[in-house]
Amino acid sequence: MPSSAGTWGSLALPIARHPVRIAGVALVAIAVLAPIGLVLYQSLLSGPFFSPAVQFSGSAYGYVLNDPEFYYALRTSATIAVGMSAIALPLGALLAFLMTRTDLPGRFWMEPLLLSPVFLSPIVLAFGYVVSIGPVGFLSIWSKAALGFVPWNLYSLESLIIISGLTHVPHVYLYTSAALRSLNPEVEEAARTMGAGVWRVALTVSLPLVMPALVFSGVLVFLLGIEMFGLALILGDQSGITVLTTYLYKLTNLLGTPSYHLMAVIAIVIVALTLPLVVLQRHLLRHGNLYATVRGKGMSGRPLPLGAWRWVALSLVLFWLFATVVLPLSGLILRSFVSTWGEGISLWDVLTFGNYAELADYPNVVRGITNTVLLGGGGGAVAVAVYAAVALIGHRWPSRFVGVLDYLVMTPRALPGIIAGLAFLWLFLFVPFLTPFRSTLASLWLAYTVVWLAYGMRLISSALYQVGPELEEAARVAGAGQARVYRDVTLPLVKYGLLGSWLLIFMTFCREYSTGVYLLGPNTEVIGSLIISLFGSGGLDLISALSVINVLLISVGLLLALRLGVRLHA
Amino acid sequence: MRELTVEGIRKSIGGVEILKGVSLALKAGEVVALLGQSGSGKTTILRSVAGLETPDAGRILLGDRVVFDGSQQIALPPEKRGLGLVFQSYALWPHKTVRENVSYGLKLRKAGDEETKKKVDEVLERLGLGSMGERYPHQLSGGQQQRVALARALVYRPTVLLLDEPLSNLDAKLREEARAWIRELILRTRISALYVTHDQVEAMAVADRIMLLRGGEVEQEGSPQSVYEAPNSALVADFMGSNNHLSGRLVSVDGDFGTIEVAGGRLIGRMMGRSSIGDRITALIRIERVGIDRTRSENGLLLNLETALYLGERWEYVLAGPDARLRAWSTTPLAGQGQYWVDLPQDQLWLF
Repeated sequence: MPSSAGTWGSLALPIARHPVRIAGVALVAIAVLAPIGLVLYQSLLSGPFFSPAVQFSGSAYGYVLNDPEFYYALRTSATIAVGMSAIALPLGALLAFLMTRTDLPGRFWMEPLLLSPVFLSPIVLAFGYVVSIGPVGFLSIWSKAALGFVPWNLYSLESLIIISGLTHVPHVYLYTSAALRSLNPEVEEAARTMGAGVWRVALTVSLPLVMPALVFSGVLVFLLGIEMFGLALILGDQSGITVLTTYLYKLTNLLGTPSYHLMAVIAIVIVALTLPLVVLQRHLLRHGNLYATVRGKGMSGRPLPLGAWRWVALSLVLFWLFATVVLPLSGLILRSFVSTWGEGISLWDVLTFGNYAELADYPNVVRGITNTVLLGGGGGAVAVAVYAAVALIGHRWPSRFVGVLDYLVMTPRALPGIIAGLAFLWLFLFVPFLTPFRSTLASLWLAYTVVWLAYGMRLISSALYQVGPELEEAARVAGAGQARVYRDVTLPLVKYGLLGSWLLIFMTFCREYSTGVYLLGPNTEVIGSLIISLFGSGGLDLISALSVINVLLISVGLLLALRLGVRLHA
Repeated sequence: MRELTVEGIRKSIGGVEILKGVSLALKAGEVVALLGQSGSGKTTILRSVAGLETPDAGRILLGDRVVFDGSQQIALPPEKRGLGLVFQSYALWPHKTVRENVSYGLKLRKAGDEETKKKVDEVLERLGLGSMGERYPHQLSGGQQQRVALARALVYRPTVLLLDEPLSNLDAKLREEARAWIRELILRTRISALYVTHDQVEAMAVADRIMLLRGGEVEQEGSPQSVYEAPNSALVADFMGSNNHLSGRLVSVDGDFGTIEVAGGRLIGRMMGRSSIGDRITALIRIERVGIDRTRSENGLLLNLETALYLGERWEYVLAGPDARLRAWSTTPLAGQGQYWVDLPQDQLWLF
């Protein structure tokens, strides 16, 4: 009997122990739990963790929970989350039905456009609205000239809810259309042959079958509502509308000294709201996908003819596209080419390329642009490698560690970017050997990678899921060890999946803004956090030019992804 | 010499006992078929031998090398067992050419380039894939893919070849041809093979010995002929062939034969179980053993012709009377409606 046979414990079934895998789980645990733990620790102190006289105390909780401003922010967050779900859910579901099941004109080429709000940065969109329909926006000034008054008020809670609702329609569309596509059209055709009309089929057959997807995206939109930062900061700040994240952000400036303990408490409150939502999402994803199995062989059902209604439907879709994409983006582009704008100014007199030339005068802005590209391209590639490594740790490993890993991976999903950025700032201040990296891109990269861990893992896992287990087993039986199998079989097979994931992560990292807010410093500028900091000083010329560059970067990624046929969602 | 020995392996998954202590032995050059319905545990046995599943208890030996021992907590990983496995789905690596697929096992065994080329050419030639080396799996037909899977498992000369339903993805015609040459190939290669299938005809065609599995246990074991012609139970009889069923009462027993009262008449059949007089009894007869005629049969029933189906090489008839409904085959057409004598030879009518 060869002694190298190996033994195994009662826990892990197949054969060997897995020291490498367990070490990997431990690393993920540290990367995820350390920042959260630090926030929790800080929330229980009487002052910032670095001040000498600090002690454990519940005083920070006392302060926040007695602040009327906190309750106002909480209420506003809840109102927005409910309101935007109420707008995004029906519109997203309708859009999905129109696009997947009917003969809506343009349904073959419109999808990337419909999804574009998902990839655009919320602050870029928010600024687009400011320069288009803000008090001195293009449309507002023109409307005042034509009508004598402006029929809308951008800086109101209603506008904020409508805009956030409209910009989150694609999130609902993504999941609902995926569910509809996986549904065999024959079940709908069966209902039609029995005499049900188009809308009756939609309401009595299709809708109930995609209900799990709808519930899931409803929870998602609600979660995004609670986590919302950029839209609320830029559209709400003027009129004093505060949500939880902007309440946290403004505390930074409110009190002279760093009020880390108070910020930590708000962060904990937000996570206490979002974590259950994330757990609920996971539960829905696990147990709610009951109907995805209603598959058949032929999925190419004949589209339902809308008749004359198709033009009504098309107008509706185009109007939505105009309001969510064309309106803010056209305003931004226009604003980036004028030197100034306001009442009584003729557009032709102020046209200029100067705003772009001016960018070069600010070293931090130039660095911000290069950093964004570096972080998205290089950092994105490294992040995908990390996600792939983590995904391989749990890949066909029948162990309870995999369950632990699943929970670890989804936890950062409950951290809004701004809180994650804050937590990582503290981590880099708190842990001595990390301090030198504080003002390098490494700090941003780590924060980004952890914030998008759940998303990245979903991208990679769905690629790994395509690899049949027997392809790996065949290599094992042929004589290859586990690592060799990953190298020779698994990774080559998911090559294109990894490439697609990298493009999606590139776009995600380019669009990210909130995570960089607290990590912003010399050398760690990125476009998103620069826009937020410029917003304080009101440099609309620079902001518009930067925003357009940001949109261009993301468009390059999106076009490349479309060219390569990358699925735009996991 | 024994190439493979499996001793009392057990396995439970989620509280369900998949294997309830199965033992088997594979002699050099022998082909054993593990036959059973889905859920019988046949694939679990194969995967346990391959090292892809770990049983809870028992022992598995390859030659005299222990590859699994539950009591000593020994379990060699699959790559250390040196077996060949042909998967139901073939599991060809889609990113490798046929040549790369087949040579992978040799590459892992650090064979030289020349030796590898020679062995791969040889096996591809032998399996009629000589010109396919540079193609990718998706450019091959199902039958060709199946042969590549075999070539890949055979090229490094494993001592035991494991086949998991290797023909079930082929269409019916191809399957009949493939089972003949797969048997030839195994015999010519002088390899021992464990062959998992749910198709009893395939098992009989390919194997020297059949192990019929049910609910994680061996129900019957023996040569194809003995399992087909002397089943231990009505279940085995039903699994191995297409049968007519009659329900009756045992009225007398004389040596190996018994008389039953059925459908208003009396029939003599062979006693297969331990029933006593007065018991309710099931009588079974293979469809192909049933005769059909206008003239009176000694051991038969007079039934009414209900349906005639033309099946090309034969006719199938359904005949029925009170409490009896039988199917029979004939190569000649019957002359019209009415009553016929259905002959049930006593030697072929099994009483369980």
